[in-house]
Amino acid sequence: MDNNIKNITEEAEITAEVASNEEENAPLDKNVRLMSPMRMVLRRFFRSKLSIVGLVMIIGLFLFCWVGPLVYTQWGEIEQDKNGKVEYTYQEVTFEKDGEQHTMYQVVETSKQINSLAKPSKDHLLGTDKDGRDVFTRLMYGGKISLTVSFIAVFAITIFGVIFGGIAGYFGGVIDDIIMRICDILICLPGFPILLIIGTLLDSAEVPSQHRIYYLMAYLTLFSWPGTARLVRGQILSLREQEYMVAAEAMGYSVKRKIFKHLVPNVMPQLIVSMTLSLGSMILYEASLSYLNMGVRAPYAAWGTMINIIATDQNILQNFFNVWGPPGICIILAVLGFNFVGDGLRDALDPKMRR
Amino acid sequence: MLKYIIKRLALAVLILLGVSLIIYILVRCMPVSFIDSKIAAMNQGGATIPEETIASMKKLYGLEDDSFLGILKGYGNWLKSLCRFDFGTSFKYGSPVIEVIRDHMGVSFAVALIATVFEFMIAIPLGITAATHQYSIRDYVVTILVMIGISLPSFFFGQVLKDILAMELGWFPPTGLENATQSYTGFAKLLDYFSHLFIPILTVVILSIGARMRMTRTEMLEVMNSDYVRTARAKGLSEHKVIYKHAFRNTLIPLVTNLAGLLPSLFSGAIITEQVFDLPGIGNVAYKAMIEADIPFIMGYNMFLALLSVMGILLADLMYAIVDPRVKLK
Repeated sequence: MDNNIKNITEEAEITAEVASNEEENAPLDKNVRLMSPMRMVLRRFFRSKLSIVGLVMIIGLFLFCWVGPLVYTQWGEIEQDKNGKVEYTYQEVTFEKDGEQHTMYQVVETSKQINSLAKPSKDHLLGTDKDGRDVFTRLMYGGKISLTVSFIAVFAITIFGVIFGGIAGYFGGVIDDIIMRICDILICLPGFPILLIIGTLLDSAEVPSQHRIYYLMAYLTLFSWPGTARLVRGQILSLREQEYMVAAEAMGYSVKRKIFKHLVPNVMPQLIVSMTLSLGSMILYEASLSYLNMGVRAPYAAWGTMINIIATDQNILQNFFNVWGPPGICIILAVLGFNFVGDGLRDALDPKMRR
Repeated sequence: MLKYIIKRLALAVLILLGVSLIIYILVRCMPVSFIDSKIAAMNQGGATIPEETIASMKKLYGLEDDSFLGILKGYGNWLKSLCRFDFGTSFKYGSPVIEVIRDHMGVSFAVALIATVFEFMIAIPLGITAATHQYSIRDYVVTILVMIGISLPSFFFGQVLKDILAMELGWFPPTGLENATQSYTGFAKLLDYFSHLFIPILTVVILSIGARMRMTRTEMLEVMNSDYVRTARAKGLSEHKVIYKHAFRNTLIPLVTNLAGLLPSLFSGAIITEQVFDLPGIGNVAYKAMIEADIPFIMGYNMFLALLSVMGILLADLMYAIVDPRVKLK
């Protein structure tokens, strides 16, 4: 109850603020500035600090991945640093001679062809990985792939979902039944195992390693649209019964116009929220696939691929955080950013949550 | 109610048929030569799969005929043997698929069950405090923390925990389920299991708390804004009573429904977590079988998963009607 009172006074303050800025004797409609729904949503969105933080994180990552490679051109994505230096390692050797203990240092000289596992330095901001590739550069290229693939998948899922959900919700009857049964089947398909099967299929078809992830995400799209379709259908079922739809019917509008001009825009708020949130989970999906060596494969970079080395190499896991830490942090930042923004959007777009 | 259940069960059979057809076609997309080479590689690697078994397997899956009709016929054969509860013999593990699944289900179930119990025990109180102190510092801190939890990739976070807790601090063994060097009995054995399972369970709990907490918070907020809560407050009830006796009860509805839907999925195993910690759970076993194109196991395991999710959805719907008297099933 406390909250309600606070909210009401807050809103009153806003209108008062707007009104006092104008001249006192002007007609009423000049005193009150009407806010478009869009502006109200934006206002509510930017009032939450978390959504701003999320937005900054996402924009930052996008700049890093797309502008970064243009600015930082020292190394390429798959370019190996061939300037391996001669490295000296030494170890203590103790031996006995003539009853006396002697200690001697045995120095081993190794000349490395490839500057692998270099520590962070001016040459390599985050060091190099096992094959002497620059981690910082790969981080940018890997992010490009991860983000692009996730965006494409989410948009495709949304388009499929809106079309099928819209048709099912609007027409009902047999069409609805058929589409919803297909949805039921696809929802019950075990997603991850099937992606693994498809991964082995791609192996046998010898698909080039940088294209694999697109095929996998295409399959993911094919199996993931039912969630969106259900959401859209549910919304349209309840919207269909409202007066304004009766009015649209009476005006004799075409079916296409009724669906895409009157129904779909009203589903948009929920749709945008679910899209933002699923962007986060898509990034996780892509990273997991690449981690399991199903998606993007070395020498090409994706955030998941860059981490996958620690599954087999104990030494890197324990001693070279600079190789696998940054991509993990990037994944977390991206997913967290989309979750924050999605959460902020949900609050901002929900007409019940006026704050 | 009974009529509704029967209708849903019939629908479930239909769904499972559809799922099996899709998986079957996918599996059939694997070129036969590819399977042959896989088997040959496995034979070289020490496994011995006799020629007759391969031939009978191929016949069972109708692999010798690659035309459209051949695929349909193969699917029919597979269905026929399914009716006798015969899922075939796993190429990789050399024993019947059902046995492999049964033997490895225990570990996965233990991890999932313990993790789920902790998840609910931690997430629900967090959700309630976040909702009752909406927009306070407490709400923000809890929200940010659980959001970070949702955003962690399981393989990355699992490895980090393994690195810190097992490698650096040495508190827990990093991988596996049992201490291979010693054989324990009784309580000590249980303790050994627990120390091996601690980090995997911790990983799963931290990753999954977020979703549950967000759900509790949203539900709680909605209930707290309803009229009967205002009435309860107007009567002069203590805040504690309002929250736990009046509001929380209705928040429980979706939580209980959710729990019922979760039950079957406890058996399915977590592929990535089990792989990171090299647990002999069903997810790990299935992963290894899948990258080696072990067809009978793939079919069996995926049907098992599909069955679990069909059951989960059905249970959740039934539970919804049981907990919430306002819901009538038709």
